[in-house]
Amino acid sequence: MFRFILRRLIVTVPMVLIVVSLTWGLIRLAPGNFYSGEKKLPAAIEKNIREKYGLDQPWYVQYGRMMRNILRLDFGNSLKYETESVNDILRRTLPVSAVLGICAYVLALVVGVAMGTLAALRQNSKLDYASMALAMLGISLPNFVLGPILVLVFALSLYWLPPARWGGFPSWTMVLPVVTLSAVYMAYIARLTRSGMLEVLRSDYIRTARAKGLKERDVVVRHALRGGLLPVVSFTGPALALLVAGTVVVERIFAMPGLGNYFINANLNRDEPLIIGIVAFISITILIFNLLVDIAYAFLDPRIRY
Amino acid sequence: MPNQKALRALSLILAAALASASCTTQASRGEFFGRIEPPAGQVLRYISGSEPESLDPQMSSGQPEARIYMALYEGLVEYHPKTMKEMPAVAERWEVDEDNMEFVFFLRRDARFSNGDPIGAHDFVYTFRRGLAPELASRSAYMAYDIKYAQAYNEHAAFVRDPQTGRFVTAAEAAPPGGEGASVGTVADAVVPVKDLDALHREELSKRGEAAAPDTEFHKYIHSPTRLIVPGDAAAREKAAKDNPRLRALLAGKEFVPVRAEDIGVEAVDDYTLRVTLAQPAPYFVGMLAHQLFRVVPRRVIERHGVNWTRPENIACSGAFKLAVHKPYDQVVVERNPLYWDAKSVRLDRITFYPLEEQTTMLNLYKAGDVDAVYNHTVPAGWLKSGVRYAKDYMDAPECAIDYYMLNTKKPPLTDVRVRKALSYAIDRQALADYRVVYKPLYGFTPEGIFPGYPRVKGAEFNVEKARQLLAEAGYKDSSGKYDPSKFPVSEVELTYNTTESNRQVAEFVQAQWKQNLGITVPLNNMEWKTFLKARSNLEYKGVARGAWIGDYMDPYTFLSIFTSKEGGDNGTGWWDARYVQMLKDANRESDPARRYELLAKAEAYLMDAAPLIPLATNATNWMKKPYVKGMYPNPGTMHAWKFVYIETDRAKWDYGVPDLKSDQLALKE
Repeated sequence: MFRFILRRLIVTVPMVLIVVSLTWGLIRLAPGNFYSGEKKLPAAIEKNIREKYGLDQPWYVQYGRMMRNILRLDFGNSLKYETESVNDILRRTLPVSAVLGICAYVLALVVGVAMGTLAALRQNSKLDYASMALAMLGISLPNFVLGPILVLVFALSLYWLPPARWGGFPSWTMVLPVVTLSAVYMAYIARLTRSGMLEVLRSDYIRTARAKGLKERDVVVRHALRGGLLPVVSFTGPALALLVAGTVVVERIFAMPGLGNYFINANLNRDEPLIIGIVAFISITILIFNLLVDIAYAFLDPRIRY
Repeated sequence: MPNQKALRALSLILAAALASASCTTQASRGEFFGRIEPPAGQVLRYISGSEPESLDPQMSSGQPEARIYMALYEGLVEYHPKTMKEMPAVAERWEVDEDNMEFVFFLRRDARFSNGDPIGAHDFVYTFRRGLAPELASRSAYMAYDIKYAQAYNEHAAFVRDPQTGRFVTAAEAAPPGGEGASVGTVADAVVPVKDLDALHREELSKRGEAAAPDTEFHKYIHSPTRLIVPGDAAAREKAAKDNPRLRALLAGKEFVPVRAEDIGVEAVDDYTLRVTLAQPAPYFVGMLAHQLFRVVPRRVIERHGVNWTRPENIACSGAFKLAVHKPYDQVVVERNPLYWDAKSVRLDRITFYPLEEQTTMLNLYKAGDVDAVYNHTVPAGWLKSGVRYAKDYMDAPECAIDYYMLNTKKPPLTDVRVRKALSYAIDRQALADYRVVYKPLYGFTPEGIFPGYPRVKGAEFNVEKARQLLAEAGYKDSSGKYDPSKFPVSEVELTYNTTESNRQVAEFVQAQWKQNLGITVPLNNMEWKTFLKARSNLEYKGVARGAWIGDYMDPYTFLSIFTSKEGGDNGTGWWDARYVQMLKDANRESDPARRYELLAKAEAYLMDAAPLIPLATNATNWMKKPYVKGMYPNPGTMHAWKFVYIETDRAKWDYGVPDLKSDQLALKE
């Protein structure tokens, strides 16, 4: 087990470096620069800017500087927002995205598991159909559609909730983005739980548990859920990582000062240090979450050995 | 089946929700849009556009930043809230010499930074020099290039000096007899013939300036014959001298003295008198000085804190407000600056700027009453059509900004001026304006209704017959001599634009017009923004490319000068004409404003006749403000002098509709 974790951690380093190098190359291939805009700059001004930010040096020098930064985990200053270091930006925006993502995932987990379990227990009942229809809707409604609908109804027609902006944690401003963000995960979790539970509920050890005269609640909560949730756990790894990075759309719709908003603009602005920093950060997160999921598996499923 | 029932119920709920939501959009027709509740106290919540790149006014050239800078920093002059013409700010008054080349500003004596330091002429000298410093690499430094030797300083250029005599070589010596070109290898475009100017200088040296401010050593230097400017870099210098034997001879055995900050034409005559000398006549120069590049910054603070001087704990502001909070991608909060010279007439206690770009999001906030005003071009066409355009808080007025299509005059078939004109004649601009709602038809190259007294130039009416006839003349005709669409090489022309919803709508409209009126289907080609910019400036596009221009200052020259740059620059069409450039120069040397406008209009007519572009529309301001926000006007650049803005709680005094822009009078509170 320990060796497995160590091996995975060691592999993470070259993988991140490869991802970052590819990103670096892609930025270079994309036309334009962080300073280009509608009005073309006189050549001399462009030259001044390139000198100031070291863009006039040969590519290997720039690549080397970028790599050195990555290895020291200090990504330098943003080009567009020159008073801010990429590390500061990450430190400031990550909590916002993380709070949004984690709240959304907890909500999705609670509602999704409850919905899925109930649906499995009352298979083919009205409740089952209703919750699965709702889940289907959640999966097929993209968040850039769901978000505005929720805003229209709850913020602009009923005036119950603020339509956008970040008001800190916890605050009413979080409600709509969290619900929007969690809908699709909620739906997936409900469906995964339902199918997982259906399978487990038919298995021999559940029959044994019932035969021993355990209360139905204990059967479900203590025995069935543990096995029935395995698919949900394997979904959690990538989902959590995607949530942290993937609040992009929701942050945009609700004007949240999170990582996603910066990521979109960093790309549009060709803000190299910021793009590299965020990409490196996200790839590390995804790799670590995947590792955590593999470890969790070993605990939940006694059949798995590393 | 039960799940069908469930689905039906669900879709009903959804439909009801959507219907109720769309009803509320409809309900606003004719009245105000959304909730109207004045905030408690004199505070304004404003959506200012994208996140400011920097709070250093000399670093960022953008408009979203400019709106925040206008609260934090003040210049010699300020934009008038209604007309955007210059009005006195730190400069109480100024004097201009006859040929529009020297400006003397008299500064008020009570201006201070928010840390208590006084603001004087030396602070402006520092600010101007800093903005031009190549090390700062300001993106808007070009705005100051009219100042004598400013461009040379910003470009790392050098003077040429004879080591024996210590005398500087003049530009006149390097100019070929009768030719022009005061600089070599640095500035490609638009420099006034050196000889004339120097003659002018000597002639008028005695009577100029001294009336306004005394003659000084610096004044004598800046009016000595214009020095020759060569690239500071030896390789570039050799390249320039390579095929110019006259220059090569001049440079032999000379030493090269880098142009320093102290050499540019800016002088503090005394603590409160600033004199600016230009390289060429620029009657619009004072109007430019409200631009952020020229807003005064605190030397002491910048030298102590370096790049971090704009942090709230370090900053010192020269404007009516000072920085309180800056949370990137969230808000910038500014508070009343008690040390501002005119603090007693500042009404607002606080302004919160929200950096936001998503149109729907910002209008949601506006509708819910969480913000009081938004910046320009923010109401989506769909919302306008559903009734918002009739709301009494919708700010509709023409803007100092135009949309047009550039034509690649270097690639056939658009090398033929007849084809270029035909494409222009075949577009019904009134229909385009009606369709887009936020457009006003444009037939020349300067926005209409922005420059009072400027003659209207019409170069492109809607005339299908003429268009077809021109194309027939250009050779696209059948045997009987009539226009034949099938002969037109459609595969050689594309309509290229950068990907946005509104650009696509316009492109599709124009495409349909050409199909309907000329029988040709020009393919559309959309590109990502920065890819598009590159294709356009390198003339890599086929036929037609989207163009837009926002005036830098309130003068037609800000539009007409686009075509003075031969390559590079913003031209993008490949068209350049020495005669056109000369016409503009002549106009700028004219001291009578009305006569100057006439000359400029003549140049514009000449440009329209060469048709390197298709004018499409003057933009509308297209933004909203709550009726209780007073002193805020839909001016041509959506630049608000915040000290005039206030919250009115008395409903009777609210703005019901677009406030009056005609009179210069400001809505001052009794």
